Amino acid sequence: MTPSEEDLHAYVDGRLDPDRRRDVEKALQADPDRAAELEAWQRDAQQLRAGLTEQVEDNPRLDPARIRVQMRDRRRSRVMMAAALVACMAFGAIAGWQIRAARDFTMPPPMSDAVQAYRMFSSEAALKPDLETHDPAELQAWIDQKFPSAPHLPDLATSGFHPVGVRLLALLDGAGAMVLYRDEQGDAISFYIRPRVPIPRGERRDRDLLAQFGSGEHYSIAMISHDGRAAAIARQALAGSL
Amino acid sequence: MAESEDIDGQLRAVLPRLRRFAQWLCRDSVTADDLVQATLERAISRWGERRDPEALRAWLFQILYRKFLDSRRRAKRESRLLGAQDTGAQQPSVEGEVAASATLRAFSRLPAEQQHLLYCVSVEDLSYRELAEMLEVPIGTVMSRLSRARQALRQLTEEAPATPKLQVLK
Repeated sequence: MTPSEEDLHAYVDGRLDPDRRRDVEKALQADPDRAAELEAWQRDAQQLRAGLTEQVEDNPRLDPARIRVQMRDRRRSRVMMAAALVACMAFGAIAGWQIRAARDFTMPPPMSDAVQAYRMFSSEAALKPDLETHDPAELQAWIDQKFPSAPHLPDLATSGFHPVGVRLLALLDGAGAMVLYRDEQGDAISFYIRPRVPIPRGERRDRDLLAQFGSGEHYSIAMISHDGRAAAIARQALAGSL
Repeated sequence: MAESEDIDGQLRAVLPRLRRFAQWLCRDSVTADDLVQATLERAISRWGERRDPEALRAWLFQILYRKFLDSRRRAKRESRLLGAQDTGAQQPSVEGEVAASATLRAFSRLPAEQQHLLYCVSVEDLSYRELAEMLEVPIGTVMSRLSRARQALRQLTEEAPATPKLQVLK
């Protein structure tokens, strides 16, 4: 029988069992060219083995137990890093929350002064305004004088609200002013202007009142009123002033 | 713990040959040992994925060889990106080291893949089945590639002068 390619290589590499080896040798006797070729292959393989079998010096760094320890340490340090990251984030979140809580405690909610001014000046037994007038132009001139580049005062006449006066206010960070509007039923809306504070556009309920506010380039503006129709009018007017 | 000691023992037994293979492939002992370390790390972390627990050596050689080919491909890509010419210098060369043998000189001129194959068969004594696994080809392909490699080596050896020309001074 003819030996397979695998048989021939196994013969060259000395990997055949004695029986199979004899079979191959018998087949090769009938094919001297093939036999010579395989003999040459065998010599080549021996040459390679002799020339390339180098002794490699020990390297303790490559001991499996040591590599295992390194891997564990690396894994641990990764876990530690992740844990540290989580701890940092948790700390930041808690600290942030606490700072926020502390700020809430010391800082009044936005536009509290505007709400307070409304309460003081809009009641029937109110303090007297600094300028008592129904003339929008006169009010605007007064405001412009004290608040350079102030926005236009809202015109609420179409909604039945007319200005009744303005009051200058001394605030911690400068001057503020409140223009009061009333309708025939005595309902009041205030337009409040103060030095700019970094508050976003928003609104806030303060008991029976609704404060709507926002900031322009130089000033923060609030409109205070009771909720309902007056608040809807104020909302529209505020949008025009900002 | 006892299990990992057993695993380490098995790895330790293959280590010298794995390192020799790596050094021969890389021609640089530092790169070779990095390659061996990466191989051992993978073997340790993927111990459960061995297909045949008996064929540990073939499995390790396979991991190492794939990593070697990957790094060589990467190096080629990088050198291409840098506009460098591929001079084929990554191929192992035994020139200058064991130039005394015509076979070794011819061997160093073979394509890298044929060198790898012959090295694994003749020097590392990997079985044909192990080779098929390592190269991810059918065993018949291993046999025909081996035939071609042996013929090529023979041809190159016969083309070259049998011994380096030495000038004998009288």
